[in-house]
Amino acid sequence: MRPGPEADGEIVRAVLAGDRERYARLVERYRDRYARYAARMLGSADAAEDAVQDAFVRAFDQLSQCKDPDKFVSWFFLILRNRCFAERRRNRTESSLEAAESVAAADRTDGGAEAGERRRALQLALMELTPDQREVFVLKHVEGLSYGEIAERLSTSVPSLKMRMHRAYDTLREQLREHK
Amino acid sequence: MIATLLVIPLTLLGMQQQDSIAARLEGRVSPGIATLVQQLGVAASARGLPVDPLIQKAIEGSAKGVPAERVATAVRWVAMQLDTAAAALREGGVTTDTLVIAAGEFAISAGLSNHDITALARTGASVSSLTVGLRVAGTLAAMGVPSAENIGLISAKLRSGQPTGDLLLVPARVQAEIARGVTPAQAAAGLERAAAAQARHGPPPGRGTPPPHPPSPPHP
Amino acid sequence: MSEHEFHPLVKQLLDGDITLADLPADLRAEGEEALRLLAAVDRSVVSVPAVTWRVMAGLEQRRRRVRPWLLAPALALAAALLLWIMPAKPAAPALVTVRFVLAAPDAHEVSLAGTFNRWDSHATPLVRSGPTGVWTATLTLPAGQHQYAFVVDGVRWVPDPGAPAVDDGFGRRNSVLTL
Repeated sequence: MRPGPEADGEIVRAVLAGDRERYARLVERYRDRYARYAARMLGSADAAEDAVQDAFVRAFDQLSQCKDPDKFVSWFFLILRNRCFAERRRNRTESSLEAAESVAAADRTDGGAEAGERRRALQLALMELTPDQREVFVLKHVEGLSYGEIAERLSTSVPSLKMRMHRAYDTLREQLREHK
Repeated sequence: MIATLLVIPLTLLGMQQQDSIAARLEGRVSPGIATLVQQLGVAASARGLPVDPLIQKAIEGSAKGVPAERVATAVRWVAMQLDTAAAALREGGVTTDTLVIAAGEFAISAGLSNHDITALARTGASVSSLTVGLRVAGTLAAMGVPSAENIGLISAKLRSGQPTGDLLLVPARVQAEIARGVTPAQAAAGLERAAAAQARHGPPPGRGTPPPHPPSPPHP
Repeated sequence: MSEHEFHPLVKQLLDGDITLADLPADLRAEGEEALRLLAAVDRSVVSVPAVTWRVMAGLEQRRRRVRPWLLAPALALAAALLLWIMPAKPAAPALVTVRFVLAAPDAHEVSLAGTFNRWDSHATPLVRSGPTGVWTATLTLPAGQHQYAFVVDGVRWVPDPGAPAVDDGFGRRNSVLTL
């Protein structure tokens, strides 16, 4: 057994030096974490899977442009983010149906028809937000990041994030009330 | 007259069965258990059920030093599960053979219900694929995958028409996901989505020719 | 402030800056509504195991495309190998080699008993490798389903800790091997 896991930077440097097989370790390490972000952003686990796959392929292609290999994750996140935003523009009509489907799948594992219904309703309501609003909501309330961490990731300010989020809260409330 | 002529060959067949069962049990089980298994075995065989699981259970119990009464109960239990499996398969429209019934019996012993068996049979998979599917479903149940996710995954795999070699890899893949910290249910659900996606989009790149994908829009 | 908007204090609650107890009484109900909204957030893990091999296969396929002249002889070789490996009689069962391992440092003898050897606890002894107390045996088994257990010191029946297990009908568990 190797002593301790490899750092991301080590793997990136090895891949850039020609050891392409090691890229699989980065994929293994982060695919599920980012699949959740993509699933809540796109409203579908299937779309999330495609988005994450595409993002990892793109990241491999552009790996030499990753300025700081030790910060692969934040650089990769932006690639995935772009891919998710591009997806939204493509598939507006399909997403709300799939949102209901994918949350229904979550039903089976978490139990409780009523809880599942509420989750479905919220995911549908999330799809009514703008992508920017949905993103800040997902990063804070699904991924559990602080406003400061989100601001750093998205290269923006905490006050502007809070403004987005507070508008999101209002839209969600309206959506959930309307569809009770 | 004709009825009598017919009865004799059937009885001969029964006796032949009995002899072959006796031969397999010889020296491994008590005389009482041997007699029971012969009786159950001949009756099972006449109903188109496999005899092997009965013989195996009897030998197993005896080898483990279990009291004869308990071995008898266990063997009767297997016979009952074989009947349940066969009925569930017929309900699903499958013309049964002994191997698929034995696989169904295993799945039931692992905790799946007759409804689960019928659901898998209804996928319309070939009998040989269904046999593997039932074995894998039973294995997943033994690993703690709940029925809904279990049947969902195996049904998707059977419907996709992938070679059975892929099905046999499923327990190891579920195990790998569990080792990463995902629950058995989540692991199975993830693999089911992959199977459904493959059915929609064709094989992944690198394996055969994928269908044409719409071109991606330019990056912002 | 319209009907639909949360009170600014309730938004602070949603942000996690204050707690329900910090809200004035007249905002309590709205605060609870807000918390119910957050409780409906789906935080469940999304597992996408297919992504790893799909990404790597995609990268591999693109690499191969760059050198197409290598593919033809590779394909021909693969086809030839397949013909050679395929059994003459398709009905012949496939055989798989399986290694069984049990860590039992205090045991004096360990054997394997299962459907493949008629549960005979003497038929298949495991071999101890040195002081570590790891016992192994390698068998070639036909494809299909097998149940088994380890027998320690001739008396203790132990299922394989690394394999799925089913009830054996006698109050113990058998390990399952699906080949």
